[in-house]
Amino acid sequence: MPEASGYALTVSGLRKRFGALEVLKGVSLNAREGDVISILGSSGSGKSTLLRCINLLETPDEGVVTVAGETILMRKTRDGRAVPADRHQVDRIRSELGMVFQSFNLWSHMTILENLIEAPIHVQKRPRAECLEEARALLAKVGISDKTDFYPIHLSGGQQQRAAIARALAMRPKVMLFDEPTSALDPELVGEVLRVMRSLAEEGRTMLIVTHEMGFARDVSDRIVFLDQGLVEAEGPPAELFGDPKSDRFRQFIAKERA
Amino acid sequence: MMSLALIWTTFLRLMAALQVTLSVWALSVFIGAFIGAGVTWMRVSGVKPLGWFARAYIFVVRGAPLLVQLFVVYYGLSSFPAIRASVFWPFLRDAFNCATLACALCTAAYQSEIFRGALSGVPPGQVEAARACGMSGFLLFRRVIFPIALRQALPAYSTEVISMVKATALVSLVTLWDVMSVALKIRNDTLVTYTPLMVAGAIYFVLNYLIARIFLLIEDWLSPHLRARRA
Amino acid sequence: MDWLTALGFGEGGWGPALLDGAAMTLLVSSAGLAIGAALGSLVAWAKLSGARLAGAIGEGYAALFRGLPELLVVYFVYFGSSALLTAAAHLLGVEGFVGVPAFGAGALAVGVISGAYQAEVFRGAFLAVAKGELEAARAVGMGRWLMFRRIIAPQVLRYAIPGLGNLWQVALKDSSLISVTGLAELMRVSQLASGATHKPFTYYVAGGALYLALTAFSDRVFEFAEARATRGMRREAT
Repeated sequence: MPEASGYALTVSGLRKRFGALEVLKGVSLNAREGDVISILGSSGSGKSTLLRCINLLETPDEGVVTVAGETILMRKTRDGRAVPADRHQVDRIRSELGMVFQSFNLWSHMTILENLIEAPIHVQKRPRAECLEEARALLAKVGISDKTDFYPIHLSGGQQQRAAIARALAMRPKVMLFDEPTSALDPELVGEVLRVMRSLAEEGRTMLIVTHEMGFARDVSDRIVFLDQGLVEAEGPPAELFGDPKSDRFRQFIAKERA
Repeated sequence: MMSLALIWTTFLRLMAALQVTLSVWALSVFIGAFIGAGVTWMRVSGVKPLGWFARAYIFVVRGAPLLVQLFVVYYGLSSFPAIRASVFWPFLRDAFNCATLACALCTAAYQSEIFRGALSGVPPGQVEAARACGMSGFLLFRRVIFPIALRQALPAYSTEVISMVKATALVSLVTLWDVMSVALKIRNDTLVTYTPLMVAGAIYFVLNYLIARIFLLIEDWLSPHLRARRA
Repeated sequence: MDWLTALGFGEGGWGPALLDGAAMTLLVSSAGLAIGAALGSLVAWAKLSGARLAGAIGEGYAALFRGLPELLVVYFVYFGSSALLTAAAHLLGVEGFVGVPAFGAGALAVGVISGAYQAEVFRGAFLAVAKGELEAARAVGMGRWLMFRRIIAPQVLRYAIPGLGNLWQVALKDSSLISVTGLAELMRVSQLASGATHKPFTYYVAGGALYLALTAFSDRVFEFAEARATRGMRREAT
């Protein structure tokens, strides 16, 4: 893909195997700036693995990932495994991607504020005053200013996840990756997190969201990608995909989720 | 049997000997921490021979009594002409050095296991989140892994540190004049059994109590993130 | 004489003596562990019963012996009880120093220390026994002694095995301190051998190796015991 094409993120031919099991069998995906893409699929379809291959929390066996025009360089080790060629490039690209985890993963020994400024100061080497100011603004934006000096253990699940989103935003990411952000939340807390994500989408952020929230995916996404057994089974705008599902498996999937 | 005068003089003499006890203790714990960290690193390094060596070292040092290790270092090593002629001899001929070395090697094995347990107790999710932000290598260790592991290690570390205080009593058996050996000498000189041993016991007990309290304070200071929020 | 002969079973070899020492170590450690089990279960019972005075005494005992050096306890028990015995003997007209049997004093010392830690192991193990099982026993009409014998004791033992395995290893190593009383356990025999032959390295390393053999063997035994004992236990979902 030529850099001038303006894709925020491209993924092509991603393959990933865990032992004997091939979880991703050649997945490709492009995201333009401002695209909100929801990745759907049943468990085992490889959706989380796909996301984790993008920021190399899992190492793809084959395939190319390009973030904001920069391709992650890979090489093969002596025993044929694929590894990143440049550790520093991986760190740098990760700092341009913001990831939100299913289990929040806030750093337990730091306050919420400290969680937010940690990576901007130590990885991006930005001045402390600037990071603090931005952090406070982000906490206000996600609605937890009153918890600034609290520790993660003192927050509810929904508050922790909103803090985690603010932490990802503090890195000024080019693309945000959401790995089932509401799956670990009590039902009554899901709404507050989805609201924040919706406002981010409306701002024009580039977001890749792995989720089970059908309604949210349908309302907020520019595009849906349906993964089945490691391959893209269906892809398209929500209206088209939900309105007239051409794929049988996708039809079955929606029916099951609705039940 | 229990004259106050004897108790007092005993106390003074034992307090004077406390310096030896504390020196052996402090040095062996401190040096042992570095050796232990090295052994832990060997175990988690993934390099098979290193891991093997580390496991063997821990097995031997934790399986044999400290007294045996002490005697091997102090009496055993000095019996070799090769060692007496070597550059290590000026160091090894001294009982204090041998005792401290043996104790350091012993506590290193226990500390290594504490470090390893603490490291494996760090929630992997939090490490992943740090990696996802672009942290790696020493930065990742310094800012996320180490602080969390440290807090996890404190209770077990406190127990080990106190164990070492008790272990130093053994150096009385390799000619050092620590609290234990002075207490025994007083018993031998005065033929009074209970007083010197009880005063020594009291000193050790108070020392261990103080150490335990200090560790509790440190734990408290380092874990506001675990306590209920004060309004 | 090379080290192989020195350790061997032939003329001038200390092999048999070392093995005898190892056997003595096993005996005195077992006796110590048994005494510790008796004391430990008493203290655990005192704490669990809720009786404040008994609990406080138990807590005090445990705190005391966790804070004292093991060597000091050995000396105290040995010399202390010998002093008592000597005083009693003097009253009866016997002159000189009367020492208590080293085995008894040594086992008591190891036992008294072990008991302080075993109390926690038993207390934890008891709390781990599902309350439901006790209630079921009561509901069936089991008397207290029967319930203890058939339900409580076996269950507590099951949960206590890992902790006890640990404390057994500690008792084995603590028993080396009994050498100061002159008891011919493994440490003392190593000492005598090194003194007699002027080969300290050989005999202390040999003694250490025998201790390691005892440790490794004990590991296996406790692993086996734990596997057998936890046959029917519910495992935490991983």
